[in-house]
Amino acid sequence: MNAASLARWIVMTAFLALTGLSYVYLTLQLYYLGERKKAVEDELASLRTQNNVAGVQIAALTSRAALQRRLKEGYLKMIPISENNIVRLTIPPRQPDADAIQPVKNQSTSK
Amino acid sequence: MNPKSRRRCALLCAAFIGLFSVFSFRLVYLQVIKHDEYAGLAAEKHVYKQNIYAERGPILDTNNEVLAHNIPVETVVADATHLNDAQAVVDVVSDQLGIEPEQLAEKLSSGRRYIVIKREVPEALARALAEKLRGGNLRGIYFEHDAARIYPNGSMLCHVIGFTDFEHHGIQGVEASMEEYLHGHDGYRFIEHNRAGQEIVPYRGQERAPRDGYHVHLTVDLNLQNIVENEIDAAMQEYSPQKATIILMRPQTGEILAIANRPNFDLNFRSEAKPEEMKNRAIIDMMEPGSTFKIVAAAASLNEHKLRPDSTVFCENGVWNFGGAVLHDHRPFSYLTVRDILIKSSNIGAAKLALSVGESKFYEYIRRFGFGERTGIELPGEINGLIRPPQSWSKISITRIPMGHEIGVTPLQMTLAMAAIANGGKLVMPRIVKSITTSDRRTISSLSPVVLRQVISPETAKQIGDALRGVVSDQGTAAAAAIPGFTIAGKTGTAQKVDPKGGYEQGKYVVSFVGYLPAEHPEFVGLVVLDDAKTSKPELNYGGLVAGPIFSRLAEKAARYLDLEPHEEIRKAIPVERVRKTTPVERDRKGVPVERVALTNASNH
Repeated sequence: MNAASLARWIVMTAFLALTGLSYVYLTLQLYYLGERKKAVEDELASLRTQNNVAGVQIAALTSRAALQRRLKEGYLKMIPISENNIVRLTIPPRQPDADAIQPVKNQSTSK
Repeated sequence: MNPKSRRRCALLCAAFIGLFSVFSFRLVYLQVIKHDEYAGLAAEKHVYKQNIYAERGPILDTNNEVLAHNIPVETVVADATHLNDAQAVVDVVSDQLGIEPEQLAEKLSSGRRYIVIKREVPEALARALAEKLRGGNLRGIYFEHDAARIYPNGSMLCHVIGFTDFEHHGIQGVEASMEEYLHGHDGYRFIEHNRAGQEIVPYRGQERAPRDGYHVHLTVDLNLQNIVENEIDAAMQEYSPQKATIILMRPQTGEILAIANRPNFDLNFRSEAKPEEMKNRAIIDMMEPGSTFKIVAAAASLNEHKLRPDSTVFCENGVWNFGGAVLHDHRPFSYLTVRDILIKSSNIGAAKLALSVGESKFYEYIRRFGFGERTGIELPGEINGLIRPPQSWSKISITRIPMGHEIGVTPLQMTLAMAAIANGGKLVMPRIVKSITTSDRRTISSLSPVVLRQVISPETAKQIGDALRGVVSDQGTAAAAAIPGFTIAGKTGTAQKVDPKGGYEQGKYVVSFVGYLPAEHPEFVGLVVLDDAKTSKPELNYGGLVAGPIFSRLAEKAARYLDLEPHEEIRKAIPVERVRKTTPVERDRKGVPVERVALTNASNH
């Protein structure tokens, strides 16, 4: 057997070995990433659940019944605003023809 | 080879060929023809369909305040064939979930593969149990994700929101009517698992994501609802009526701003509610409206140009014999204008207004105002009401119907009729659902006002509105419904209660007030109905004295919340410190002019 042939066999064997190892490695990676994916999904579901629970708690604590209870207990204080403390902006009356289509011209370019 | 041996050899070869042909055919049969069947059987052993449940959509008010929501819970189940230490499992689970150990042991000893141990277990508790089971290396207990419907506001708006059954299907209120949108669609995933029951993620098969239920936004404003709830509670305390209903509605769009009924129930404890408490009386209760119905007779007469607002009608000095029956007014009136018939609430005058248009025309107007048909609100169980056709009217029906007798209407229909007056004669469809959106705020459907028909001309509506402003004045029957700073248009009603056995119940009345404000540019229409209110004196049980002040209080608060600017002239006349409203009893004690007491205490106004 000459050296060139031997080298060819060695390269082929190495290539096959590497391919096999890569296959095994990638298969293991697939399982590993699958497990990771599952763990992340579980974590996400758990966070979503916690978020929902928190949302429900917020809704319960800010509900009318809860706020009125706290009002009665003295945690909250509400004072009615007297009429003289209310400032109202008077909306200027609209001209009758305000909505009509009117011809316009650009003053800067007009001669 | 001799011929004998050759033949033997050929036979052997043929036998082998035959044998292997049978094998080949069998192989093809199993691998090709029966492939799907056996592949399916094999898959059943290690592949299964995992359901991914969709979340039911929340119900929100117009300002996105939560009215109905889901709380994540777990259903604890057991597979008796997976239990590795039944006694230890019983000890841990019964301790954590508060179940009797004997009861649990009996359940687990059944040997079944699916045993429900407890439903609606809070997430935190389920997590703690799972940790304990893992710590003790105990197998056979599993957790199924589920959700429980909760209602943060308890009994508030209970008849509108409704509730769901055990399988999360809406069975009342918006929960039922919007079921299609709230429910969502469950997803699924085909997964493979190993011997330990753990999923092999790379072998995941077909998958479909769930579609959560849509968000349903109501037209109800919880702030206004709170005002209404407080007022109806105060009314229940003060008058102890058998039933009560209050409705606030925006006349231009038909949006229901607030709606409350009594008796009511707590949505979170619905299993304890009595059937009587679960009725949405605003749409399923029929009542004789009493004098509030006089607006229909007046509208018909004016719209048909039979009479003008200032036309005078002889009111027979309080007693009128028509069709062999006597019709009374609460006090004698000689001549009244059409306007004054509404202001003074004359029964005889209203009867003559109806007579001026005739039976069939009057019936037509009743139907045009929406009586006798469902309003179309997005709530289940609404009734039509009861309006008989003229063919089945008696001779005196034309004189009794204008004053709100011999007919049955729902509180919502009455509100809608008044809204038509407030809305320039346009009858709009009431709406309780404002919009439907996805969780990422994409709008699926949104409310647009639906004008059903022009019931009366805008001029007639204005004429009726002007007369109704007089009702809430010192000359009218609802002086107590007035609000300083605002002009109100409204009508009182006092109808004797119908006895289910026939006739009327003595001393029992349905009192009501329906009105709107500001009278010039109505922002809301309100209805207050109290069934069998208990007053300190029987002569005080009238719409103007009972329902009127309730309307006044709630409308004042609602106007303040909606930032309606008080009428300038009246604002100057009224001190900034709000004058405390007196109750009818106090008013009586303080010596109200005799004439007004007589007027407001009269029957049927």
